[in-house]
Amino acid sequence: MADETAALAAPPQDSRRETIAFVIGVAGWLVPGLGHVLMKMWGRAVACFLTVGILVILGTAMRGNVFSSSGSDAFDSLGYLADLGTGAFYFVARSLETKGPDVSHAGGDYGTRFLATAGVLNLLAALHAYEAARGRKA
Amino acid sequence: MNFGMGFKLSHLQSMLLFALLISIAFGFLSRRRPIDRAKYIVWSLFLFLLIGVGIGWAMYPFSR
Repeated sequence: MADETAALAAPPQDSRRETIAFVIGVAGWLVPGLGHVLMKMWGRAVACFLTVGILVILGTAMRGNVFSSSGSDAFDSLGYLADLGTGAFYFVARSLETKGPDVSHAGGDYGTRFLATAGVLNLLAALHAYEAARGRKA
Repeated sequence: MNFGMGFKLSHLQSMLLFALLISIAFGFLSRRRPIDRAKYIVWSLFLFLLIGVGIGWAMYPFSR
């Protein structure tokens, strides 16, 4: 009984730390590298921003598919989720994609993979910033 | 960079660029000291290329 009470009444410091870590994780997702900037991890922040940004720009330039929410099948929906992982860069990719995707050539297919990888990489970086803010790893 | 016409890269160039960018990101995220990061980036890049080229050769008999 005493253990249950102790477990339920988490210290306010832990609750505050969790909230801050959550905000840092969301910030890292919305703007690649921002989560690490808030943690003062400058090298990681620059690396995340540049790698995600370069992948998005290259993927769009290679006429990769930037998926939208109106996907017709499960792969389109998964691609949309992966692309959304880039946060603000998703809208950059949408604005740069003026002539639509061209996956009839290998370049366009690679571009689609670049864009999806940028999203998943950014989610991984945001998760890393969240875990670092919780004090789990650095 | 012309976004309308499309940015042309060969298969090998695309793979090299992809492997390099991902290796850099992994190195910075998973290691703290610069020397450890450099080692990790080189090792990860080597493995990406080795496995990529290896899978390419493994698929060659079935490609046509």
